[in-house]
Amino acid sequence: MSENKILLNSVPIEEFKESIESIENAAASRINATPENADHGLAQLVLTLIELIRKLVEKQAIRRVEGGSLSDEEIERLGETLMKLETKMEELKQIFNLSDEDLNINLGPLGSLM
Amino acid sequence: MDKIIYAVTGNNCSQEELNSLVKGISGISGSSLYALSFKNISITVSDFSSSKFVVDKEMAIDFARIIEQLSQKLTLLPVRFGTFLKSDEDILKLLTDHYDSFYNNLIKVWDKDEFGLKVIWDYAKGSEKIKEESEKEVVKSDTYFSKNTVHTNYLLEKIKKHKLEDALLRHVEKLIEEISGFLAEINPECKFKKMVSNSLILDGVFLIEKDKKDEFIQAIGALKQQHNDLHLLLTGPWPPYSFVEIDQSF
Repeated sequence: MSENKILLNSVPIEEFKESIESIENAAASRINATPENADHGLAQLVLTLIELIRKLVEKQAIRRVEGGSLSDEEIERLGETLMKLETKMEELKQIFNLSDEDLNINLGPLGSLM
Repeated sequence: MDKIIYAVTGNNCSQEELNSLVKGISGISGSSLYALSFKNISITVSDFSSSKFVVDKEMAIDFARIIEQLSQKLTLLPVRFGTFLKSDEDILKLLTDHYDSFYNNLIKVWDKDEFGLKVIWDYAKGSEKIKEESEKEVVKSDTYFSKNTVHTNYLLEKIKKHKLEDALLRHVEKLIEEISGFLAEINPECKFKKMVSNSLILDGVFLIEKDKKDEFIQAIGALKQQHNDLHLLLTGPWPPYSFVEIDQSF
């Protein structure tokens, strides 16, 4: 960005760098499947969708807990299920060498997926 | 030879004047730009071989530079990087088919520029108080659970996390209201992305009349004075990248 485009800047250089890096990471976080890495690209796509669904389920579950409509037994089972889902997801991310940022696809003008 | 498209422009001059305006600018391939017109709008293009098209940073910057040069002379709608058509006839067809949509967008951005405002904070410091307040809402485990187990503790942590996310969003929404208050007299069209990352809490774009630029900078300066905890990065003027809404894809 040329300096004459900066009209006001009070951002310390370290935080500015961090912010630019996060934008660059977002730009890089598109699914990038090529013939050479098709399996990795596919794993990234599938895990992204699973993670999105898992987070939606988690959000809905938390709403139900907060709403007070669940019995003790249901809450216990819900906690166990969500915990296991999260653990399994971490295992899968490790197997395919993917980070949280890799599963947060940049949808361009719509922003990030999660 | 294909045609690479740079921008849709509004004509406030004759076709000859328009062509001499754009001719001085060299396109991505080095060949001169030229304009094809229909009624009072035009599309600016240059010859280019799409087989040589490489998506890289340099070419994207070059493309943005050309749009920037055009925007200093004309009101325009920037076209997405890498948009090609086969012939002048195809371009004229595009122009006639989408005339209404292009024209309405040009009216919207006429004599206006886009400005960007990024609001950055120190997440640890900034979120500390908000975290305290959101945790007060959660109170303790027995608000939600009659038993204290590993699974209910897990759920409690999740509840805290969700409350904090909600509280951060509310905080950013309050900030947007405040910004809107500061800019009320300028009355810009604006769009915001909230909590882009932990540090970049707000990424806003504003469409401002060209002659209100100084007033806008002053208003943002005044906002900064009120918020020592926030770092602001104000940039512009930019072509109206974020405010073009074409109803059909081409």
